[in-house]
Amino acid sequence: MNAQDSNILIALIRKILDVWGGFRDFFRFSSSIFSSFQSFKHLRFRSIYTIAINQTRFTGIDALPLIISIALLLGGTVIIQATKNFPKFGIEGFIGNLLVLIIARELGPLATAMIVVSRSGSAIAAEIATQKQNKELHALEVMGVNTILFIVFPRIMGSILAIFSLIIIFDIVAFFGGYIISLSTVFIPIDIFIESLLDSFSFEDLVITLMKSIIYGILIPLIASYYGFKPQSDFQIPIYVSRAVVRTLLILFVINAFISALFYF
Amino acid sequence: MKLEKNELRVAVFIIIPTAILFLFIILKLGYSLASSTIDVYLKVDSISSIKKGTQVKIKGYPIGRVVEITPVYKPALHFLAVLRIQKDINLFEDCSAIIQNQNIIGDPVIELRNPEKKGELLSNGSVIEGLEHVNLEVILQDVHLLLTTVTDTIGLIKDISLESKGNLRNLVSNLASSAATFSSMLQSSQKDILAILTSFRETAKTMNDISEELKRHPIKFLFKKDKGE
Repeated sequence: MNAQDSNILIALIRKILDVWGGFRDFFRFSSSIFSSFQSFKHLRFRSIYTIAINQTRFTGIDALPLIISIALLLGGTVIIQATKNFPKFGIEGFIGNLLVLIIARELGPLATAMIVVSRSGSAIAAEIATQKQNKELHALEVMGVNTILFIVFPRIMGSILAIFSLIIIFDIVAFFGGYIISLSTVFIPIDIFIESLLDSFSFEDLVITLMKSIIYGILIPLIASYYGFKPQSDFQIPIYVSRAVVRTLLILFVINAFISALFYF
Repeated sequence: MKLEKNELRVAVFIIIPTAILFLFIILKLGYSLASSTIDVYLKVDSISSIKKGTQVKIKGYPIGRVVEITPVYKPALHFLAVLRIQKDINLFEDCSAIIQNQNIIGDPVIELRNPEKKGELLSNGSVIEGLEHVNLEVILQDVHLLLTTVTDTIGLIKDISLESKGNLRNLVSNLASSAATFSSMLQSSQKDILAILTSFRETAKTMNDISEELKRHPIKFLFKKDKGE
């Protein structure tokens, strides 16, 4: 082994240790939220409730136009591809299956989560980082407020509710958007279409969708908050915001693949 | 005030998807607790044979009726007949539906036949494809058309054979006259041929004499002058 090889190996080991250290740090941060529940009684319910409502509005309601547009386009694309590449005769028999398979099981939750990460994840990280740099968090700590609990917990609650609603809205808009687009090429009676969807969408799919909405709802604000607390100076804020978005997306894809493999493989 | 508005919007935002989710669960559960009949769709190219109220049978036993016929314009004009059939009858996917007449002048009836290989049970909203459409009126029309075509063909063959007969007769008579002409030509030229042959023979004899004379007295033959010169 020459010097160059040993340098590469050392760099690789260092990288692995960095990643491992990052995971340990993240789990320490996550566990600190659970341990901080002890001080929950010292917080005013109204303040946490207000943050959760605002977070739900920002993550959910404000993202609705984007979610609806993307859902329509995705549903339409799937149907256009299906009607183009599959025989038209008898397509009504499997169009529900196709939509449930592609939209409800995979694309719906993943696309919703990606939109939430790009909109709300970055916003949460940037907001916390800015609050930290402006000493607002320090001021809260001085007042005896548990900052991790006060900032992260309501955002997690808000994100879970918002992602749950957004996934359902995304799926419905994609289904019916796809249906309307399909009418231009092939006629499928609406009741047949709904029956086909109901037949294809099992309770297992429903449970998995709910599970994904909860997991994404917890992970997105948690990772964003983790990176939001990281910057030590103003110029580090964009670096950590970018890191928050990229790593959250990576983890979402890994979790999505893991859940699909676990339940459908 | 602003907060209340936010709360209201968030409440609507959460309640509507939750209600849709519950509706889905109810539909999903209610689907298995449906009424005693199911509606299946039958694709037909033409509705000349079936109408609202047409009976649906399996092995001659009535199990339902046609309740609605709707036209479908895409991709090509066809019709969807809604068959309301009893749920307790086990019909499988890929079953065939044959529209047939009960007798020569009877009303049409849709006879459902289960496939050889039994797959999943036919569910509400299923579509029966590959309809075998047997219509007595259409068959009679087809037979009539076929008979007309056959009659025309026979007439055509008859005409051709009659025409050919005349042509053959002409050909044979022409051949006979040609043979007679050839024979008379041969007879008339027989004497001339003999004279020509005799003339050829004499010419050959003369030529033979000349060659003999030339062989014996070539100089004399060439330079001999007639006595009269």
